[in-house]
Amino acid sequence: MARQKSLTTPTLSPNDLAPRTLILDNGAHTLKAGFSSPLTDPAPATPSACHIIPNCIARSTRDRRTYIGPELTTCADYGDLAYRRPVEKGYIVNWEGEKAIWERSFFSKDAHIDGAGLGCDPAETNLILTEAPNAPASLQRNADEMVFEEFGFGAYYRTLGSSLNAYAPSPFPSTTTTVPAGVPLECLLVIDAGYSHTTITPLHHGRPLQTAIRRLEIGGKTLTNRLKELISRTFDVHREDHIVEEIKEDVCYVSRTFPQDLEKTWKGGRYDGRELDTGVVVDYVLPDYEHIKRGFYRPHDAHVNLRNRALGIGTETGRREHVVTLGNERFTVPELVFTPSDIGMQQAGLCHTVLQSVNALPEGLRQAYLANILVVGGTSLLPGFVERLEAELRSAVDEDTVIRVARAEDPVGNVWSGGARLAADEAAVRGVMVTRQEWAENGEGWVRRRFAGKKGR
Amino acid sequence: MATGPLRFRTPHIEELPTAQSRQSAGFAWVAVSTAQDDPAKNWGTTNRKRARASLGGQTEQQKEALSARAQRETERRIKELNNDNSRDVVIEVAKKPGQSAGGGGGGGGGGGGAFKAGKTAGTKKILASGKTFAHFLDDEEAEIARTGRREGEVEAPGAAQRASKTPLARRKAREGSSASDSPAPSAVVAMGPPPVPRAASTYFAAEPMPVDDLDDDEEDSEDQLPCLPTSAEMEALLNAPPLTYNQARAAPPPASMPPPRRFCETCGYWGRARCMKCGAMTCSVVCKDEHDQSKCLKMYA
Repeated sequence: MARQKSLTTPTLSPNDLAPRTLILDNGAHTLKAGFSSPLTDPAPATPSACHIIPNCIARSTRDRRTYIGPELTTCADYGDLAYRRPVEKGYIVNWEGEKAIWERSFFSKDAHIDGAGLGCDPAETNLILTEAPNAPASLQRNADEMVFEEFGFGAYYRTLGSSLNAYAPSPFPSTTTTVPAGVPLECLLVIDAGYSHTTITPLHHGRPLQTAIRRLEIGGKTLTNRLKELISRTFDVHREDHIVEEIKEDVCYVSRTFPQDLEKTWKGGRYDGRELDTGVVVDYVLPDYEHIKRGFYRPHDAHVNLRNRALGIGTETGRREHVVTLGNERFTVPELVFTPSDIGMQQAGLCHTVLQSVNALPEGLRQAYLANILVVGGTSLLPGFVERLEAELRSAVDEDTVIRVARAEDPVGNVWSGGARLAADEAAVRGVMVTRQEWAENGEGWVRRRFAGKKGR
Repeated sequence: MATGPLRFRTPHIEELPTAQSRQSAGFAWVAVSTAQDDPAKNWGTTNRKRARASLGGQTEQQKEALSARAQRETERRIKELNNDNSRDVVIEVAKKPGQSAGGGGGGGGGGGGAFKAGKTAGTKKILASGKTFAHFLDDEEAEIARTGRREGEVEAPGAAQRASKTPLARRKAREGSSASDSPAPSAVVAMGPPPVPRAASTYFAAEPMPVDDLDDDEEDSEDQLPCLPTSAEMEALLNAPPLTYNQARAAPPPASMPPPRRFCETCGYWGRARCMKCGAMTCSVVCKDEHDQSKCLKMYA
């Protein structure tokens, strides 16, 4: 029968799915991409098949080069790097930039010869694409149109990123039965602490309960920008996105006892000077990409002469060290996730947002969801995040409600591994994919409703 | 002929002693609309001592006007913090000859020029559009305000209502499964004899869920578990339309929470004293000196 798609290979009959599936977790900070296929892999794809690609286009004024996507890892000098991100607030807004990144990562010649092995031909690949919840409808339409018309994928499934977590192995230690690939966990409350924002999504058998999805507008990006502001009080780092992100990842943690920690890092007033606690206050040596390729930190040393250090006097090997002292910034910055009112944001902290989401569910389900809380997302890698969340929830809720909070083993790649396990089960993935033929026949409204989970017309 | 001091015949006028007529000084106190009484013109003073000492303090409108400015300031700062691209970065993507033209060969189809611009009319438009997320959001809100429902959804119950930016949790009197904004699930009753972990795993035992007996005991549920939703209710929940972007935003904390904490601008410790001129908080005299020298906004005023 006449086929609508004209540009692609004729070997695929319209209702067949391609052998390989590209699972693309399209985050604002990084893309997590990898292949999975039901035929060759009886075991679900291992996490090492997931490649993390920076989702940005970066321009370095020092090299006069523009790095697209995966090329950023080849950059030698991350100083003064200007970023442009096609994903805004979690949704792909700028398709021009995103197309360039996708091409460079998956479709171009360079991608095919890259060591990552992500090169593929879209006509022979299915695509699982993730998006953030509550997307404006026109953005969803744009995404569908771009995937089918522009890139020409054979079949495609667009879903909420959080839903794929239900297919990943359960992180709760008390689960004795392992769930086979393709079968979602029954009930799960996913907290995705991502780059643009933090979303809370209750899932039932992998399908989201839409009325209870809540979003907190603090994400890794907010924390990085706040840290930039705080460090710039002493040393101007407003243009050093990459370096401040590294500082945040190295040095920041979530404190369980915020007032006590704040006391430890205070220099004291005029008449009662205090000693800084060197267990908490650190000196961070900034990288200069000549001798120091990567920043590092050491406990604070009050007697060092910073100006000498900057000139290279007194350091080992005579290198010039620019040192920034970080005291309470280490824990006041992540504190924003739990108390957004610290910068004046009129939103409840993470714990109360979780409770708002849970209270939006019918009464009978609340206990079930409070007992199955999964934390994913890069921001949850901060030390102390999960403990603090659990402690706050525990104190906010009745005595006899059970609360179990667990962080996924690989918070960054968990959505991807869920998608990989879904793609490994042929029946499940066939049930959700929409082929190009169906898209051409039924139109985009049908496709959008299908992706939203409505089974009927 | 007149015999008294008055030469003409006038009616008898007698001045009664009142407060005003006694030794009148030639002027009178008149009630004039002052700055205090005309809230439309007066935004209130920023000087805290004057506001405290002035008669009756500041009116509600004055306080509102002052806090509106402070709010705008905070919102601007927050928007800056949530800024996606550091400063106004314009990085050209497709104009370089070497790198992305190499991508033209691999995609399959199209000449070099057509490939960059997009294969079909629709994709050309998408690629060329310079809309930011704020544009899309505004478009969606406008669409909802116009037609009362989102794109591609079935008729929503009720007429076209103005898209509300109030998060779901803050709305009053919404029917259906709306969120209450009390943090503690006070409706969760004490879990009686059946231990909770067991119950959690048997909640969705089989598709025809054994909930009929529990449904009847909604009212007197002191010893019972809260009733499970029926499978029909679950389906309705799962098929509910997704919230709009603004509806899904988390709501402000409940009013019972302590007021927002302030920190010292210079060092980050607790803010203990407010600068009288610019309103920023500092923790100690040392930090205040630093603030005065370089950070106080009223440095030149």
